[in-house]
Amino acid sequence: MKFNSHFSEKYPLTKYLYIVILLVFSQCHKGQTLTVTGTSWAVPITTITEAGTNYSGTYQSAANQVLLAASVPLLLGSAKVSVHYQANPTWHNSLVLSTRRTGNGTTVCVLCTITGGTNYQTLTLTDVELFRIAAVLALGSYSNIPIQLQLSGVSVTIPATTYNSRVVFTISAL
Amino acid sequence: MRFSTNILIAICLTTSNVIFSQTTGNSAVSITLPVVTLLDIEPTGNFTLNFTAPTEAGLTVVNPAVNTTKWINYTSAIAPAGLTRRVTASVNQVIPGVNIRLQAGTASGAGGGTLGTSSGQVTLTTTPVTIISGIGGAFTGNGANNGHQLTISIVPNTYANLSARTNTPVVITYTITE
Repeated sequence: MKFNSHFSEKYPLTKYLYIVILLVFSQCHKGQTLTVTGTSWAVPITTITEAGTNYSGTYQSAANQVLLAASVPLLLGSAKVSVHYQANPTWHNSLVLSTRRTGNGTTVCVLCTITGGTNYQTLTLTDVELFRIAAVLALGSYSNIPIQLQLSGVSVTIPATTYNSRVVFTISAL
Repeated sequence: MRFSTNILIAICLTTSNVIFSQTTGNSAVSITLPVVTLLDIEPTGNFTLNFTAPTEAGLTVVNPAVNTTKWINYTSAIAPAGLTRRVTASVNQVIPGVNIRLQAGTASGAGGGTLGTSSGQVTLTTTPVTIISGIGGAFTGNGANNGHQLTISIVPNTYANLSARTNTPVVITYTITE
């Protein structure tokens, strides 16, 4: 310790170098982040007017119903975004939620890549991978990644009431 | 000591970044399924049931052939733990001396769900009588050959009450209810 103190006093710039190194180090270890925006999706059910018929069964949201902003730190390299659904509080097993990525969003990272998730992925109560982001020589940051939702299995055979769920997106290391 | 402080600061910075990194988020989905109660008869239009006079003295009138051209279609969506539905039928008038009989067949065609069960053959009166019961969340499919085929016939009951008549329209009313 005495050596260190003496070292700093002898070389005052070293103190600031420490700070810079510490800040860079801490940022490099910064975890991946994910932000979910967009609007809630109230599925527009078409009224049945002809006796004997059922609902069309499948409904799609706007292509950019959900917008994701995801970033991957340089040291982590790549990450995956997973998705699952949660009943909130009531959902029906016959109602099947799916989601897909309809675009790449925007990024300033030239060498970064975003892959997978362009086909509908059926959601379950546990996480399933939707897409991956790889960062190359830079912080991999994507914003406004458009996500489309799909609901199928809508039928008059399901008890008539209101159902709610949450589509939960999670980013994690590979 | 100062070196230890720097290490501590590094750990704090790293930890704080990890702690405050948001790694999950959610979006809401909602759907409201309404109660649905729809019924119709397919195909539309009237049909005729004509008795034929006997050609030999002492014989009865000849009954018309039964009509099987009509089908009941329905769509039913009920609330959780809601009551099942039934279909009733009645006529606007009874013709003296004859019975108008109706039987709903077993559901068939493109439907699904908890379809109803036929009550078998019933004689129609001006009071509604159940012809199908136990309908839950269900749809029969649309049009002829979907749902419950109806077999409708007319037969004499009391000859003493029979009288010659022409063009007597009888309206059969079907109702889906709880």
